[in-house]
Amino acid sequence: MELFSEIYSCYYQLLRHILCSQNALTMQEIREQISQEGFGESMLSIIPKLEDGSWNLFKKDGDLYRSKISSAFTVPLSALEKSYLKALLLDPRIGLFLDREQVEYLQNALAAVSPLWKPEQFYCFDRFSDGDPYADENYRSCFRTLLQAQKQNRYVDIDYTSPKGNRLHHHYVPARLEYSVKNDKFRLLALQPVSSSFALRSRGKNRNLAHWKTDAPLMNCAALQSTQENSVDSCPKNNLSRADASTLRHAQETTNFKLEILNISRIRSVSLLEKRLPAPADLNAIIRRTYYREPLKLRIVNRRNALERAMLHFANYEKNTTKIDEDTYECLIYYNQGMETELLIEVMSFGPMLQVIGNDRFLNLLKNRLHRQYGIAPSVQ
Amino acid sequence: MSDFQELIKSFPKTREYVRDFFVYGFKTREEFREKSPRTYDNERRRLESWLGDYVRKDYVSRSSNISQGVNISQGVNISQGVNISQGVNISLAIDSNLLDTNPLFQVWKTKSFTDNDIVLHFLILDLLSDSRELTAEEITEHLLDEYEALFDVQTVRRKCNAYEKEGLLQKKKVGKTIVFSLNLSLISWIRDRENMADALSFYQIAESFGVVGNYLTEKLDHRNQSFRAKHSFCVHTLEDEILLKLLDAMNGKQEVHLEMKSSRRGTANTADCTPLQIFTSTRSGRRFLCGYVKHSRRFTCYRLDTIRTVTPLQRLPKYDELLSILDRNREHLWGVSFHGGSRHLEKLTMKLQVFAPREQYIVNRLKQEGRHGTVTKLEQNVYQYEIEVFDCNEMLPWIRTFIGRILSLTCTDKSVEQLFYRDLQTMYRMYQIEETK
Repeated sequence: MELFSEIYSCYYQLLRHILCSQNALTMQEIREQISQEGFGESMLSIIPKLEDGSWNLFKKDGDLYRSKISSAFTVPLSALEKSYLKALLLDPRIGLFLDREQVEYLQNALAAVSPLWKPEQFYCFDRFSDGDPYADENYRSCFRTLLQAQKQNRYVDIDYTSPKGNRLHHHYVPARLEYSVKNDKFRLLALQPVSSSFALRSRGKNRNLAHWKTDAPLMNCAALQSTQENSVDSCPKNNLSRADASTLRHAQETTNFKLEILNISRIRSVSLLEKRLPAPADLNAIIRRTYYREPLKLRIVNRRNALERAMLHFANYEKNTTKIDEDTYECLIYYNQGMETELLIEVMSFGPMLQVIGNDRFLNLLKNRLHRQYGIAPSVQ
Repeated sequence: MSDFQELIKSFPKTREYVRDFFVYGFKTREEFREKSPRTYDNERRRLESWLGDYVRKDYVSRSSNISQGVNISQGVNISQGVNISQGVNISLAIDSNLLDTNPLFQVWKTKSFTDNDIVLHFLILDLLSDSRELTAEEITEHLLDEYEALFDVQTVRRKCNAYEKEGLLQKKKVGKTIVFSLNLSLISWIRDRENMADALSFYQIAESFGVVGNYLTEKLDHRNQSFRAKHSFCVHTLEDEILLKLLDAMNGKQEVHLEMKSSRRGTANTADCTPLQIFTSTRSGRRFLCGYVKHSRRFTCYRLDTIRTVTPLQRLPKYDELLSILDRNREHLWGVSFHGGSRHLEKLTMKLQVFAPREQYIVNRLKQEGRHGTVTKLEQNVYQYEIEVFDCNEMLPWIRTFIGRILSLTCTDKSVEQLFYRDLQTMYRMYQIEETK
C-alpha cells in the first residue's frame, strides 16, 4: 500500500474529470478545466501530451476531443482506502454519521481488510479528559440535525445550556461544525439573527462577535463594525471602508447576524425550521473581519530550541517570521479575541524564551498575569 | 540541463523543503545551504505551482533590511517584516482557522508517471467496468480493438499485477489462466450515501491519515463545506509515509531500523528499536514513536518528523509483553520523556490561588488537563495540584500557563523548581514588573 502513488495524483483526478465529460471538448475547454483543477504549471505538461497523442485517451473529431472512456467511469477503492475505512469503523465518532446497518454493511464488506491503524496504537498524552459523549443518542440526534441544517442553509431552533448554567433558546443558522482535536469536542459555529438595533448598539462592545447582514446576496454581506473604532488594539484587521459603513444606514431594513460558538454537548434539543438563507455565508470573510488589525508581535531568542518549538507550536496560526540577527527572530501572529486567551497561555508556556513586544493589548494582558504573580509570590524560592 | 518537472518521483526530499518553507518561512535562497541553489530554485518553483494560493513572497530590499510582503492570495493579509538577508523569502501562509481541508495534501498528489501508466489506468479500468473477467492477453486485445491502443502483453500484465497489489483489480486463477476483474460494488454503495461523504469530509481534516480521506472525497467528487478542525496542524501530514511504515511494523510485531536527522543540529543518527505506540501531542500536533531499545533496555520516544527512513527487521516474540510494560510505565509519563529509563518518580506540588466559584474554570482546567494528578481544595481560594511523573521538566510549559495564580511550586527534582523560578524572574525583568509594581 503506497501513500504516494500516481493513482491519487492531481493529474489522474483532473484527467478523469475531463474524460468523463458528457460532451466532446474543445482544447480551450480542456485548458480551462486544467487551469481550474490543476497545479500552476500543469498546462505545460498536459496539453502537449493530449495534442501529440501520447495520452491516447481521446478521439480527435475536427477541433473536438471525444473521450474514449465511458462517462460513468469509476475508480474502485484501493487497498489503502479500504484499510482507512476499516480504521474509521473503530472510531467512536463514526456513529455520528452512519447508522448501525450501514456500519454493519461496511464491516462485512471489509471483513478481510486490516485497519490502517487501531485506536490503541495511538496515545494522545495531552488531550482533555472530558470529550463529547459520541454514543449518546440525544447528542447524535442534535449533531445530525445541525449537519443537515448546515448543508441546507436552514435555520434551527436550539435549546442550549450555557457554561454558566443559563438556559438559552434561540434561532441560528449553522455555519460549520468545528472539531477541537485538543478538547475532543464539537462546537457549532452558528449565525444568530439579531435585531438591527442590537447589532448597531453592540458593535465594538463585544468584538468577539462578527456582525453582518443578509442583504442579498449574502456573500457580499458587510460587517457591522464601526469605522470610527480605529484604535490599534480594538479594531479588526480588515476594517470597513466608508462604502461599507454606508450600508449600515439601511441595515435596519435587513436581517443582521452575529457569529456564536456553541458546544454541541451543551445543546439540549434542536429542531429544524423551514426558513433558509438564500446562499451559504462566507464564513472566512466573517472570521477574518474579527482579527485584530495589529498582530501579536513576538521576539524569539533561539535558545533551548525555542525557535523550532515556537514555529511548530504556532504553525496553525497565520504568521510571518523574519530574522533580526544571528540568533533572534520576530514573529507576527494574527488572531482575534476568541483566540486571545488560548494564545496568551500558549505564549506564557514558553516562559522567557518568547518576548511579547506588541500589540499593547496583548502585552498588557501578559503583564497583568505577571503583576498578579509577582503580587502573590514575588521572591526566588 | 534537464527541463523543470512539476511532478516528482520521490517524496522524502520534497518533504524536507515543504516542511522548511512551512515551518521556517523566513529563510532565503542563501540560507538553504544543504542543497545547491538550482535544487532550491526547482523546489521553490514546484511549491509555488502546487500551493500557489498559500505561497507568500517577501522581497527584501538591497539597500535596507526592510522586507515587504507583496503576494498573498485568498485573503491572507500583507504585512511588513524585517530581514537581514537579501533576496526573496518564500513561506507558506496557512491559517488553519479558515481551512476546509489541509492544503499540504496537494503535495501527496504530485507523483510522476509514464505515458503508459496514465493511458493504461483509464483504459483497463474502463474495459473491466462491465464485470468482465479477462486475462492479460485478452485485455491487450480489447485495448487494441475497442480503444485503438496498442500495448505489449507484458506491459499490460505488469500494470494489472500492480493494480491487483494496490487493491484496484482482483486476480484469480481459472484453470491454468489468471484473470483480472474489477469490483465496483463498495465504491458504488459509498457514492450513493450522502452520510459517507459527510463522514469522510470530517475525518479528512480531523484524524490521522487525513490525506487518504481526502483521496476518497475526491473520488466521490465531494468537497468538505461542513467541518472545520481546531488545533489541527497541517504540516504533520508530511510524516504520514513514515507513520504508515511504523504501523506496518507494529502490526507485524517487528523491530525497525531508523535513520534520523536531528532537527536542532542537523546531525544524522540511527537507532534500532521495537515500535510500540505513536504518542501524539494535541497542542503542537507533534507525533512520536515510542519504542523499546534493546541495547539500552529502555523506552525511548523519537519525533516522527526527524525520522527519514524506516527499515523493518525481525519479528519480536516478546512484543505483547513489552506493550504491557509500556502500559504500566505510561501511567507515570507526563509527555514523552522516560527520564533516561530511571524508575525513580519525581513529585511536583503546585498551590494555586483560585477564587471559586467565579474562577471554577481553573479548577476544571487542572482536572481536565492535569492527567493523573490530583486536585485538592486546601482552604478558601487555595487549591493544590499534585502529581508523580518520570520527568517533571516536561511539565514546565503547562505549569507556566498558570502564572498569575501560583502560590508555590515544589518538586523533588530541585532543578525543575529552580528553572521555573529563574524563568519567572527573567520574565519579571523582561517586562519590568518589579519597577512598575
